[in-house]
Amino acid sequence: MMTAHSSELTGTVLNIQRFCSHDGPGIRTTVFLKGCSLRCKWCSNPESIHPKPELAYDVTKCSGVKACGLCLKSPFPAGAFYFLPSSDDDRIRINWDLALDCDEATISLCPTDALYMFGELMTVGQVMNEVEKDSAFYRSSGGGLTLSGGECLLQSDFSAALLEGAHKRGFNTAIETAGNMPWSFMEKVLPHVDTMLHDHKLTVAERHKKWTGVANKRILENFKRAYNTFPNTKFIARTPLIPGVNTDEEHIRAVLAFIRPHKNVTEYELLPYHRFGLGKYTLLGELYELKDFTAPSAEVVEAFQAMINEAFGRSG
Amino acid sequence: MNSKIKRIAVNVGSGFVPGLNAVILGAALAGGKLGWDLVGIRDGFEGLLYPERYPDGGMVSLNPQRIENLDPAAGGILGQSPRTDPFHVRRLNEDDMVEEVDMSDHLLERLRSEQIDGVISIIGGRGLSIFYKLQRKGLNTVCIPRSIENDIAATSVSFGFNSALSFTIEMLDRVRQAAQSARQIGVVEVLGREAGWLALQAGIAVCADAVLVPEIPCDLSLVAERLQKKITPRRPYALVVAAEGTHFSDDLPVNKPSSTLKASLAPLATDITGDNIIEPSGRVAQTVANKLQLLMAEDTHALALGPWVKGGTPTAVDRQLGLLYGAGAIRALNAGQDGVMVAFNPPDMEFVPLDEAINKTRTVPTKSEFIQIARSLDICLGREL
Repeated sequence: MMTAHSSELTGTVLNIQRFCSHDGPGIRTTVFLKGCSLRCKWCSNPESIHPKPELAYDVTKCSGVKACGLCLKSPFPAGAFYFLPSSDDDRIRINWDLALDCDEATISLCPTDALYMFGELMTVGQVMNEVEKDSAFYRSSGGGLTLSGGECLLQSDFSAALLEGAHKRGFNTAIETAGNMPWSFMEKVLPHVDTMLHDHKLTVAERHKKWTGVANKRILENFKRAYNTFPNTKFIARTPLIPGVNTDEEHIRAVLAFIRPHKNVTEYELLPYHRFGLGKYTLLGELYELKDFTAPSAEVVEAFQAMINEAFGRSG
Repeated sequence: MNSKIKRIAVNVGSGFVPGLNAVILGAALAGGKLGWDLVGIRDGFEGLLYPERYPDGGMVSLNPQRIENLDPAAGGILGQSPRTDPFHVRRLNEDDMVEEVDMSDHLLERLRSEQIDGVISIIGGRGLSIFYKLQRKGLNTVCIPRSIENDIAATSVSFGFNSALSFTIEMLDRVRQAAQSARQIGVVEVLGREAGWLALQAGIAVCADAVLVPEIPCDLSLVAERLQKKITPRRPYALVVAAEGTHFSDDLPVNKPSSTLKASLAPLATDITGDNIIEPSGRVAQTVANKLQLLMAEDTHALALGPWVKGGTPTAVDRQLGLLYGAGAIRALNAGQDGVMVAFNPPDMEFVPLDEAINKTRTVPTKSEFIQIARSLDICLGREL
């Protein structure tokens, strides 16, 4: 079992989602870690971007200024919370530029939990206790633990300890990564990974930088090195399809040319863009960019899937 | 004269508004008359934070020679940045990973090293909060409100609004002609998330048949009923103007949040319920057009003017306002004011503390004269008041 030392390691966890079926084989528990090294303009998990726990507000839980009004007074920062006297609705509004200075202790004073924090510090032991709750399902389905984010490899010590713990319990392990980190981060975690789902977002470096904030040279180097260094690990390439950004055949062909020489890259999945993140941006204020993308058409997805099937020698 | 001041910097927040040069010119002329040295910071704060990116070091002298040919009708000579929050500056760290860092201390240090005694900032609603924070950290600042939607509290009129209003009116006239020839109901969505000034004043100017504003929840059945009465064989068209923040009392999809999560947003981006905060431009126009088409035996056509109204040359009113605000900011600094916003409440110019200007929105009071005028002109406002 895990050592006492490693079980006390802490990481910033956004969410633990049970009974997942899309992030690896079988029934799985997906642990979302906070912090990302990219800023994709289509991001559907904006709450996972910042590495630390951050303020969020659920307006439906606010009991209003007449009934409460605690957050309008000290120790809450002046001007961070307010209401509009002219409005029928006396629930508080947030000035995010001032409210982000709130600490966790202050937020916890909100009696209805309308103010809360996205993300919490957890130990490896605490996370594994949650993961273990579904161990019977993992064994019967071949499932296990998936680490996602954000970018789970940024918390490489924490991730390695979680995955090692899962392996020791006989659970299958998987990670989802975009690959933008020093190789040492990836190298530390991959020995404990059965399946690595990894993103090929754009091919051209300048365009990758435009849409994600960084060029892709190191990302591709990391992936190639991972394929070669860990021949027994299963790799699944993925592309989130964003119309007008990467819905071009050249990108799909380039990814296929990159992955096909490596036998341990067993699949290339397309992830048509969805807009689930739209509501979540509202919970976090306007710190993040959001561009209004639409979903790709079924024809585009089908055409690309046919290219992938052909490259993998499948009849489709 | 305020003897403590010798050098003033001017910067412009994100988002274009017609008349920026007029403000810069007003400040430079008024400051020059006092013998002060005025400089402009390029691209928001970027000229100060990243001087190495600029051949001239990121600061532009606004001396008399430089400004004598400055056209108040042209765009801003200082440039702008899409992000002007020094508390969350996005950058690549040494490991080539994207992160946001607080560079406010560095910014203040740079201002000190440039011997800047005060900053005049031309900003919108959110920028006021950022400057409120900077002022609390020691920045001597005077802010000038700019707003296309005229929704900044404590001032009767922000510069930029009148130019947007003129362009909106011109577009509405064209839509009306198109609707008339096609025998349709034209539904035009205009800017105005929380405040309906643009929709209301433009709608009055073109005698629209209906004007929908965020301040008055709208019953589209009532609108359909009123439009049906106005549409005749001799006048087989109608024009509806809807602010993008319009709310509906009917159970329409636009009223429902796009996810189960509900929240509040930053000032000027928050609606009454906190729902539907970030919506694609044109959703209100499409919703109104579809619903009216269902309720009436008429064709509708939806159009969203969106952010296009922010461009163009300033009107005569905005040129005057820009010069007035620029000169007013110098007057505030000379009077020893700090941490204030220049407000124009005709005939007076006032200096309003920033903490009184933030967290408020200048909305249309339901008993305002403009509402009464609209009703007198038989413009349907979406609800019987």
